[in-house]
Amino acid sequence: MIRECILMMADDDADDREFVREAFDKSGFRGEFHYAEDGGALVDYLEKAKASPRDRDCPMPDLILLDLNMPRVDGHEALRRIKSDEGLRGIPIVVLTTSDSEADIQKTYDQGVNSFISKPVGFAELVEMAGSLKKYWLELVKLPNDTTIS
Amino acid sequence: MEDTEQLQAQVRELEARLAERVDADSFRRVVESAPYGMVVSDAAGHIVLVNPKAVEMFGHSAGEFLELRIEDLVPPRFRPGHDGLRRGFHGHPEPRSMGAGRDLFAYRRDGTEFPVEIALTPLNLSSGPLVLSSIIDITRRKRDEEELVRYARKLERSNAELESFASIASHDLQEPLRKIRMMGERLAALCEEELGEQGLDYLGRMIRASGNMHRLIRDLLAFSRVGMRPEGFQKLSLAGPVQDALSTLELLIEDNRAEIVLGDLPVAEVDESQMRQLFQNLIGNALKFRRESETPRVEIHGTIDEFEGIPIVRVEVRDNGIGFDEQYHDRIFQLFQRLHGKAEFGGTGIGLAICKKIIERHDGRIYARSRPGEGATFIVELPLHQKPSAEKTPREP
Repeated sequence: MIRECILMMADDDADDREFVREAFDKSGFRGEFHYAEDGGALVDYLEKAKASPRDRDCPMPDLILLDLNMPRVDGHEALRRIKSDEGLRGIPIVVLTTSDSEADIQKTYDQGVNSFISKPVGFAELVEMAGSLKKYWLELVKLPNDTTIS
Repeated sequence: MEDTEQLQAQVRELEARLAERVDADSFRRVVESAPYGMVVSDAAGHIVLVNPKAVEMFGHSAGEFLELRIEDLVPPRFRPGHDGLRRGFHGHPEPRSMGAGRDLFAYRRDGTEFPVEIALTPLNLSSGPLVLSSIIDITRRKRDEEELVRYARKLERSNAELESFASIASHDLQEPLRKIRMMGERLAALCEEELGEQGLDYLGRMIRASGNMHRLIRDLLAFSRVGMRPEGFQKLSLAGPVQDALSTLELLIEDNRAEIVLGDLPVAEVDESQMRQLFQNLIGNALKFRRESETPRVEIHGTIDEFEGIPIVRVEVRDNGIGFDEQYHDRIFQLFQRLHGKAEFGGTGIGLAICKKIIERHDGRIYARSRPGEGATFIVELPLHQKPSAEKTPREP
């Protein structure tokens, strides 16, 4: 089965979700864009996607963009839950956050995150970032059970 | 013969008495004038002699004292068992301080207590063994000590609060700023025609202003983090961090066609990442404040020296830039202080304040020598070895 790329973004900030979505649009991303408003919603979504792989409304993402500072279940906790789930830990996760603290960087890599990116300050930089992420994670990289087209 | 022996015996006794008398007199004088309370008591604890200072301390008259036992000078809650301690001392009479490691209290005539330090001296007189207690009232010292401890705790707390406040504030201040900038850029891109030339100009200035504020907050964050995330000190050649700083500044060096001259750089015990930041700021400054007419040249070299008996490393960063008037020397190391308008030289006025904070964390000092138009030399002095206790700053959670 060949399908579109699915991008999942967990961020409580609606403006940021809009910026990132626009940036991906501008970078030529033509897949589906899903979002969760906090870590809990992200994990719920992923568990649902795992349980019902044929659900068209809830496809398994090919890449997760994860904010750290979120209410209720934060990024660290979401990361811990995803990486300790056999069926979910293979999804690449890129932390996209305003934090650039050494402690956060160290902790998230220890938790098995694939990349850590500080949110760019300008829109042009954001588009560039989206382009790089799309090129790398959705086109270049080979992952297990890869059935996507870009 | 017998007469002679008798005579000699008499002389010896007279001499002994004389010696005893002289000693007793000088002893009394010492006791009378001593700046601390003195109480002499016998083996049974009866007080036999006190000095005026003891009278002043305890509030008993000299006459009343002679009716008291040494236990009467001890607060009632400590009296049980004091008998045994006293007998213990007379069993092995040696000069010593009392209650090693414990806080001692004395008991006044009016029932109040005061903290004391007591030294015990055995006196062996022909009339029997006595003990001299020398008593110092340490109320004031205790109060000062407690005050100092309280003050240090308060300072530590407020420092930690300040650092985390600066860090959190800077972080949260970035959020809205980023959006202002993003929205501005989107607006400029999407509504270029509607905005017109003047509208775009205003918008451009808004975006630039938010960019400046972004840099300001970023530098402030770096400043607040100097004390917060120590990597720890390690022995390394300063050539490493200097090289790292030069690589980071590579573009700037190329753009300015600057000449960099590296001399000896010794080994010292330092926080590597902070040294990198220090040299980046100092070399960056040297390039920034260049003279237009001249090729910028930055010399960096270090020596080993001594300061107040402690071995130190002295590193000089010398440039041939515009220099500054030394009357502003202290100002340039202060946060947000600038000697030039923002239009002349960009920047946030935080760079040298960060340098100063880094150097202070290393127990060193930083200063500069300069004259307007004649370049500047920034001098960093660091102890060769860090004190083990120097690393007290808490880690960021």
